[in-house]
Amino acid sequence: MSNEHYLIVSYFLFVLVSLCLGVAVYRILRTPLAAIAESATARFGSQLLTRAMAVCMTIAAVAGFLSVSYTQKGCRSYEQVVKDREYLIQMNQEQVARTSDWLVWAVFVWCLVVLFCLLAWRHAEGPHRRN
Amino acid sequence: MDPNGVVLVVVFVVSIFVLFLLDHFLRPGLRGLLDETLGSPPATVFYLRAFVIVLALVILSGTLGTHSDFKNSPHFMEYVWAAAGRLQDVFQNLFIVLLVYVGLITVLMAALRRKS
Repeated sequence: MSNEHYLIVSYFLFVLVSLCLGVAVYRILRTPLAAIAESATARFGSQLLTRAMAVCMTIAAVAGFLSVSYTQKGCRSYEQVVKDREYLIQMNQEQVARTSDWLVWAVFVWCLVVLFCLLAWRHAEGPHRRN
Repeated sequence: MDPNGVVLVVVFVVSIFVLFLLDHFLRPGLRGLLDETLGSPPATVFYLRAFVIVLALVILSGTLGTHSDFKNSPHFMEYVWAAAGRLQDVFQNLFIVLLVYVGLITVLMAALRRKS
C-alpha cells in the first residue's frame, strides 16, 4: 500500500475510531444519567438530557479528531506529509490522543450537569420531606 | 518490531496496571463517600463510571500523544528513556485529572451533603 493510500484509508478509519470512542463513552454513562434525569426532571427533560449527552460526546470526539493538523497549520507541504509513513502513523496516534483529551473534558462537564440535576432533585424533594 | 511499537506496548501495559491499581485502591472509599453524600444509587454509578472512563482516556491520550525518534539499532537504555518520556506524560495527565476529580467531589460534598 502506498503512503497516499495509507493516508486516505487511515484518515477515514480513524474518524470512525474517534466516533466509536465518543459513542462508547455515551453508552457507558447513558443509563445512570437517564435514571438521575428522570428523578430530577420530567420524562421529556430526561430524554432531552440523554440526547444532549449523545450529541455532546459525538461533537467532542469529532472536534478532538479534527484538531490534529497533518500540515502543521501550513508548515509542511502535502508532499512532505505523504513521503513519511512514520509521520502518518504518529498523526493517527495523535488523533486518538486528542479525541481522548476532548472526551475527558466533556465527561467532566457532564459531571457538573449531573450535580445540577441532583441539586434540582434535592430542591424538589425538600418540601415533601418537611411534610 | 518497530522500536516505537515496542515502547508503545510496554507503556500501555504499565499504564493499564496503574489504572487497575488506582481503581482497586480508590473505588471502595469513593463509593462509600458518594453513597453517603449523594443518596442516589444512579448518581453514585454515574460518578464511579465517569472516574474510570476519565482515567482510561487519560492513559490512552498519554500513551499515544508522545513520540520518540529512534536512530538505527537503538540501545536498551534508549528504549527505557523513550518509555519513561511517555510514562511521564501519562502520570502528568493522571495527576491533573485526579486533581480535577477531587475538586469535583469537594464541590459535590459542599453542595449536597445531607445535614445530620
